Amino acid sequence: MKRIYAIEELCLNCRLCEVYCKSAHSQSKDIIKANKYEEPAPVSRVTVYGDNFLSAALNCRHCDDPKCVKACITGAMTKDKKTGIVYVNEDKCIGCMTCLAVCPYGCIKEGKKAVKCDLCRNDDEPACVKNCPNHALIYAEPGGEEK
Amino acid sequence: MKYIIIGASAAGLACAEQIRKEDKNGEITVITKEKYLPYSRPSISYFLKGAVKESGIYLRKSSYYEASGIDIVTGTQVRSIDRKAKTVKAGRKTYSYDKLCLCTGSKPFIPPMENVSGKINALTFLDLESAGIIKKTADKKTRAVVIGGGLIGMKAAEGLSKICRSVDVVELSPRILPSILDEKSAKSVKKYIEEKGHIKFHLGQTVTRAGSEGNRITSVTLKDGKELPCDLLILAVGVRPETELAEKAGLEVNRGIVTDPGTMQTSDENIYAAGDCAVSVDMLDGSRRVIALWPNAVNQGIAAGSQMSGGDIRITSSYPVNAIDFYGLRICTCGLINVQDKKYTDKIIRSGSSYKRLIFEGSRLVGYVLINSSANAGIYTSLIETKTDLKTLEGDLSGTPDPFIFGKAERNKRMKGALDL
Amino acid sequence: MSVNYIPRRFTVIRDRELCINCGCCVRQCSNECHYFSDDGKTVLSQSDACVACHRCVDLCPTRALRIEKYVCDYRENANWTPQYQQEICRQAETGGVLLSGMGTPKPYPVYWDKILLNASQVTNPSIDPLREPMEIRTILGRKPEKLTVEKKGKSTVEMPPQVILETPIMFSAMSFGSISLNAQKSLAMAAKELGTLFNVGEGGLHPDLKPFTDRAVVQVASGRFGVHSDYLNNSKYVEIKIGQGAKPGIGGHLPGEKVSVEVSNARMIPEGSDAISPAPHHDIYSIEDLRQLIWAIKQATGNKKPVSVKIAAVHNIAAIVSGCARAGADIVAIDGFRGGTGAAPVRIRDNVGIPIELALASSDQRLRDEGIRSQISLVAAGSFRCSADIVKAIALGADACYCASAPLIAMGCHMCQTCNTGKCNWGIATQRPELTKRLNPEIMYKRVVNLITAWNHEIKEIMGGMGINSIDSLRGNRLMLRGIGLSEKELEILGIRHAGE
Repeated sequence: MKRIYAIEELCLNCRLCEVYCKSAHSQSKDIIKANKYEEPAPVSRVTVYGDNFLSAALNCRHCDDPKCVKACITGAMTKDKKTGIVYVNEDKCIGCMTCLAVCPYGCIKEGKKAVKCDLCRNDDEPACVKNCPNHALIYAEPGGEEK
Repeated sequence: MKYIIIGASAAGLACAEQIRKEDKNGEITVITKEKYLPYSRPSISYFLKGAVKESGIYLRKSSYYEASGIDIVTGTQVRSIDRKAKTVKAGRKTYSYDKLCLCTGSKPFIPPMENVSGKINALTFLDLESAGIIKKTADKKTRAVVIGGGLIGMKAAEGLSKICRSVDVVELSPRILPSILDEKSAKSVKKYIEEKGHIKFHLGQTVTRAGSEGNRITSVTLKDGKELPCDLLILAVGVRPETELAEKAGLEVNRGIVTDPGTMQTSDENIYAAGDCAVSVDMLDGSRRVIALWPNAVNQGIAAGSQMSGGDIRITSSYPVNAIDFYGLRICTCGLINVQDKKYTDKIIRSGSSYKRLIFEGSRLVGYVLINSSANAGIYTSLIETKTDLKTLEGDLSGTPDPFIFGKAERNKRMKGALDL
Repeated sequence: MSVNYIPRRFTVIRDRELCINCGCCVRQCSNECHYFSDDGKTVLSQSDACVACHRCVDLCPTRALRIEKYVCDYRENANWTPQYQQEICRQAETGGVLLSGMGTPKPYPVYWDKILLNASQVTNPSIDPLREPMEIRTILGRKPEKLTVEKKGKSTVEMPPQVILETPIMFSAMSFGSISLNAQKSLAMAAKELGTLFNVGEGGLHPDLKPFTDRAVVQVASGRFGVHSDYLNNSKYVEIKIGQGAKPGIGGHLPGEKVSVEVSNARMIPEGSDAISPAPHHDIYSIEDLRQLIWAIKQATGNKKPVSVKIAAVHNIAAIVSGCARAGADIVAIDGFRGGTGAAPVRIRDNVGIPIELALASSDQRLRDEGIRSQISLVAAGSFRCSADIVKAIALGADACYCASAPLIAMGCHMCQTCNTGKCNWGIATQRPELTKRLNPEIMYKRVVNLITAWNHEIKEIMGGMGINSIDSLRGNRLMLRGIGLSEKELEILGIRHAGE
């Protein structure tokens, strides 16, 4: 499956990925509303760690054998059999955050429910990748060609 | 092949699903004494307070089991196992098996109390059925008393506080949540819960007797003589592994069902055990005990299922990891947190409402307690699980852990998922 | 800092309704114009250090930022303009030579804007470049004086080394040191794809550019940095840099702190030592000396590579070009005074040298008059802003053009003219790793390729309009040019007639 890969050598620490992720996962899909006014405030699924000298945008790895799915106590965390996307069923999630406690990559965010990257399920290309100004995030098949 | 799994919670379901992954044709029968399809047991407190509906509590869609060829027999108590004939007796039927897995979980431990047994408003809080009864009977007039300030008792108390007039928690230990909190953090959590939930705590106390009218409890008396009015008594002192079937069948039992720590096989080569009824080996201190937590149960179920169907998945690491929240206060714990030995050291970082305690053995992380500071806790968990020598790290652990605590090679592995592009 | 008597130049205007306080600008501005309030929730700006590079403007996801010229009036004085007053204040404070980057911003005449192109009507029909072949391939190098053929028609002339370009546009010299390796790499990749050449400048050849050496022009400058046999041979042609349009007669000085390990390796000088390019080549005091160096380079490269001499456009340029041709140069590159630079003394940049248009026209004419035009290829440099400028240069006699500023703009340069500070927010004129990584060669080379491809299309279109289907027929074809608003003398030097004539 296609996954998002971060290239730290190219990451600018501009954090636009976070801005666009919030907007893509907001109710309004409007960048200003999403980042400024919406309640509850959307949570960015991608996080840039580091500083201007060394940084990288970390995103869910959508593991083949995801620990978060195994640890989920309600069956809300699911790996889609067809797409391989690991996503949270918000109707079932109780926000206990056991998934967060077992994710070895630190890719699950706290919210009322667990919040994580869903590769922008309805779009061809995740918002963070699409809007990275320096192509520091790529969306690719492992071992395959970009895009 | 015929597979029988007794118990349909975390371990039982994981076991059945793993068998189906590795054996497309085998007959899988899951027998549960409960009348529900597999549901999320930890969610019952959320169900109680109305955060999830009953329909949201089930782990899979009901159509899933037929589609996956997993037969769930509900409301059926297994009475005995005949190891020679390889059959189990359940209800009026006898089921034969090639491989059997015991996922019987745990049963409540009820300490001796005068005048409690048999009363209709004295309930345990372990399954959906009990939660359903409580939800039906409790209302704004109800004065509830919860015996037990552990994980189950506190979750029950939280759930009840949303629907009852008052909630009192009676705990024998001098602090709440003794299994996951140390003294200092327990104090601050207690204060927070008291403020947010209007729950009254009676620590270092037990209930000695209950006062009743007919078959209903009306009050409870504490060790110190204090009497609390009580319309609903929740018994949540603790649980013990449910090992009765195994014992009757002559399997080796020592606190829990004894299994091979890698394969979950019991003393009978065709019988496996997984989940809260089975003993596992804590990888962190080598102790043999029941680690009654969901992720552990799932892993054991998967390993047992795989072994039963000829696969080779083994348990490689068992350690406790738990996340829970009370009124929005997040508590994340993992590994060894109540250790006394001098070989362990710890580091406490506090700021504002957050509390972080990291426990080390030499240069390895072996446990943590995170209160309102659980961001990226899984990175700590992975350091614990992989027994990483912290001297090999480049960054400091006291902040929010991030990929930059790792050296470049490990970091790239994490960023790129160990895949060459 | 004490009071410096100089008002700021720009004001950053933040539209609070649009700003989402994401802090992108804070993290992108190397001049530290943007910052967070103490609670970390609000982004604030202070404009003192703003150079109008537009990094924040362009990256702002909500387009909340705008840079405005800061207008602070002085009492009217046509002589003592605010700029002179400010420069005096700066020098009064520092006691130093004023430095700046890029080409002169002074409003000297740009002759490209005073030259009009021709097109065919009725007679000599125009050509549609989309339907008919249009040749812009350009071949540089000394051409034989006469052609002799044997009976079967095969040439018996030994051809001097030639360089084939798929476009008359090459990238001018920019050294590793003055620009980042990523910028150089982008140009190298673009040159490879476009079938043209990039020029490594005088800073030596970084090992990362080895795969591109067959598209590289390597320079031998007065500092002789990085010059060795491999360097000379790993190239398409070798260029002796005598002068640079932006700072004729001036050497260069790369301060020691910019001489990183990488730069020191490429330049073959100790790390941290000042890299000083002397004003003259200390072994060239005459045309004869130049001839010796050209000869030496040809020996070192087995006579396989053309040798170019790059000179700044100065007053008696035509005679100097003629001298270079006679010294054995195969290519002479003339750099006009509007040419860019990584750092130049402001007074030199703004006052020394002459425009490329005049230098090119007079040199081409002089070589023709002397009958040696075919001995060399003329490369014009010093600010080509669009394809029409290129067409006009070729019609004035250039064989090819060196462009640098335009591709840099394609890569993000906003002509803020602070290359010399090393804080280029676009990762071009800097060696700071946190800034150079902002320039991803994979993205930028494509932008440069797009730019030159677009210009190539336009050149073909303009040529087609003139009824010309080969760039060779345009070269020196001054009949295609007419001056507008030019004096008799200017027209005479340019060798063109006035519009309407």
